[in-house]
Amino acid sequence: MSAVLGNPMVTTAALPLLLGVALALAARFTLPAASPVLTLLWAALLLFFYWDTLGPPVMPPVAASQKLIYLAFAGIVIGLLPERVLGRATSLPAVVAFAAAFLWLGWRRLAGGALDLQLIAALAVGLLTMIGAAMLAARQASQPPSIEEPFLAPAAVLALSLAGAIVSVLGASIVTGQLLGSIAALVGGWCLAQYLAALRGGAAAAWSKGVEFLLLYAAATVLVQVALLAPKANPAALILSSLPPLAVALVRGPLQNLLPGARPLRPLVAGILIAVPAILAIVTAIVWAPHGAALGFS
Amino acid sequence: MRTTKLIAALAFAGASILTAAAHADNYDIDGQHAWVTFTVKHGIYGIAHGQFDAVKGSIVMDKADVTKSSVKAELDVGSVHTAFDQRDSDLKGPDFFNAAEFPTISFESTKVEKVDDKTGKVTGNLTISGVSKEVTLDVKLLNEAPAPWDATLTKAAFSATGKVSTADFPMAKAADGFGLGPEVDIVIDLEAVKK
Repeated sequence: MSAVLGNPMVTTAALPLLLGVALALAARFTLPAASPVLTLLWAALLLFFYWDTLGPPVMPPVAASQKLIYLAFAGIVIGLLPERVLGRATSLPAVVAFAAAFLWLGWRRLAGGALDLQLIAALAVGLLTMIGAAMLAARQASQPPSIEEPFLAPAAVLALSLAGAIVSVLGASIVTGQLLGSIAALVGGWCLAQYLAALRGGAAAAWSKGVEFLLLYAAATVLVQVALLAPKANPAALILSSLPPLAVALVRGPLQNLLPGARPLRPLVAGILIAVPAILAIVTAIVWAPHGAALGFS
Repeated sequence: MRTTKLIAALAFAGASILTAAAHADNYDIDGQHAWVTFTVKHGIYGIAHGQFDAVKGSIVMDKADVTKSSVKAELDVGSVHTAFDQRDSDLKGPDFFNAAEFPTISFESTKVEKVDDKTGKVTGNLTISGVSKEVTLDVKLLNEAPAPWDATLTKAAFSATGKVSTADFPMAKAADGFGLGPEVDIVIDLEAVKK
């Protein structure tokens, strides 16, 4: 049993995927999607994967990798704020939380003073994820709710995490790659179960604003760390990885005409459109990967 | 009378301090003759070797009272090499030495103990990736002599060995048996120029 749980492919992919499916089933049959209990379950699973990948929290945190679990916890605290507070304040907490995370993770790099390509990419990733999170936080659900609406935020987090995981691993930052992979699999499991429910004619459960925030915050802060500290990660791929949350606004706006009329296809096409920058990020990272990347540690 | 005794005592104390200070020699580590090397388990297979090329620091050696000696040294993480470029760049990455965030490794002694005339134990704080851990090095004074070609240049040569665990530092992939680690044997040979 311990050998199975010790296998990184199990903890990075299979286990979070199954737990994501389990959460979706819980939201479908036992808990309302907006229930704080569901938010706490997401939070507990998120912290479990942080702990499993990065080890127990270190006090005081010194290295950026030691700060990630505290940032995830901060995201959980903000995510647990009452829905009306998050809704009323719209994007302000998102902007403040993202800016604070960037400065906390990157102050040593910023203090170093060298504005190289990697730091420019990191600044772009920080800015784009901040704007994307603010736009996600500020958006109001369409009335009447469209079939694709519950999939938009999960698709953004899934695309950002999956692209970030691959870019990170190809950039010789394995740990953050594993962590982003876990988040991607967790959200992927949720999306899969919700989509199957939608195909069977049911209504997919939407994330609460709190769950949206804590998952996007977790994934985005890990991506920011990769951008700041993994010199071999492809800068263009990193920037492309940060775009899916912004793509949500396009899918709800100018790109809405691209969504097909057939209801079962709408979430799928919306998800693919949101994932386009992530797909480009993965292709970029693979094509321009450093020699020998991801072929095992050297 | 009391004043005279006090002055005499102060003079004696001052002279003692000056005498002690006179025994303490200061050295700068000669970066061109410093080999900070390490060996570490490579995955499930063999032993990998590596070296830091950029080393600087200072040594205070008090021959009369070795416990008053001290060492400060700094390694440039960017200078690590293991005879394979890809592994070197991986070692500088966030899963190992994290050079972008912590470009240097430092050692500062806190205690020096004499073992015999030529050997001692130097305990100090080794700081990697912002985390300090106490490490003890077994140190041997190999030689101290003026250079044959320049009598004004005096150098001392030291050899040191020690062990650290990467699990003590935030080096995730060096601590879980995935790549390099966790136990690291350190071998240091260096020359220092007397000031």
